[in-house]
Amino acid sequence: MHIPDGFLDAWTASITYAIAVGCGLLLWKKSKRALRVEEISLLTVLSAAIFVAQMLNWPLPGGTSLHFVGGALAGMLLGPFLGFASMTLVLVVQCLLFHDGGITALGANVLNMAVINVLVGYALFKLIVMIAGNKRSSRMAGAFLGAWLGIVLAGLACGLEIGLSPSFGFYIDVTVPIMAGWHALLGIVEGVITALVVEYLYVRLPLAIPSLIPQEVVER
Amino acid sequence: MTPTNFVKSKKIWTAIALMLIVSPLFGVILADVVGYHEPLDVAAEAAGLRDVSEEITWTPFFDYGIPGLPSEVGYAMAGALGVAVIVVVGYVAMKVVERRRGGHGACLKAY
Repeated sequence: MHIPDGFLDAWTASITYAIAVGCGLLLWKKSKRALRVEEISLLTVLSAAIFVAQMLNWPLPGGTSLHFVGGALAGMLLGPFLGFASMTLVLVVQCLLFHDGGITALGANVLNMAVINVLVGYALFKLIVMIAGNKRSSRMAGAFLGAWLGIVLAGLACGLEIGLSPSFGFYIDVTVPIMAGWHALLGIVEGVITALVVEYLYVRLPLAIPSLIPQEVVER
Repeated sequence: MTPTNFVKSKKIWTAIALMLIVSPLFGVILADVVGYHEPLDVAAEAAGLRDVSEEITWTPFFDYGIPGLPSEVGYAMAGALGVAVIVVVGYVAMKVVERRRGGHGACLKAY
């Protein structure tokens, strides 16, 4: 879902840049505490892993492809601000080094994959674990649904952005159903992978999921 | 593995290396065979949008290629390059945070 150069007009590109930067600043202010080295360490390996996982394009019947996006996973493991930072790092490297995702569309890509995907995934995961209790079934259901909804809403936003560029005409009636519809299907794979990774890490390496460690333990 | 330093986890780096090694199969070989495209390409085609990246690109590593290398090898090497850049940025950030905190790991080690 990396929007390339040429898909967004100047208006849409500028507005999405502004929203992405605004969201980044807001998340930074909201995080309100000093960062820990372990978190940056986790952010580094997670960003590297997500970057490489995104290079694996899986073919689907009918000539369509999908790759893991990972924004929801980053949010679940790192929380909103560091999840945003992790995905933004991946997107900036992809854009600057490989021109995967346009420089004019970097704001939109950050908004979709580092803001919407991260926050929706994190919030739904947290909510489900909070309501249903921190047990295996609720962690997996939360991770699956968070990742699924995160990718669907990111796809929907992407459809809106490319369909709403005034200079190129309005095509949201075409682009939004295609993007949201396809990602509702692709999101199932994203959800399964995310749920398996979250559960594996929770069992093997609970410190990798700071969002499930009670805050008072972390602060101690 | 100490819980404080994920960067030193052999398991994680082995997984990343394995993904890099198989990446040309998914990113280049199968892509050529199946000729697939993302839903975004489908939507853009329906809206008549045109990707101009190739015409205006600034990077020699465009589309995960390394100049002079066959695309199967270049793809994985480009991936390794991307990982290296991410690690350098992460390492610098770790050093900055460490300096500010004056030592590291205290809180999670206690846990």
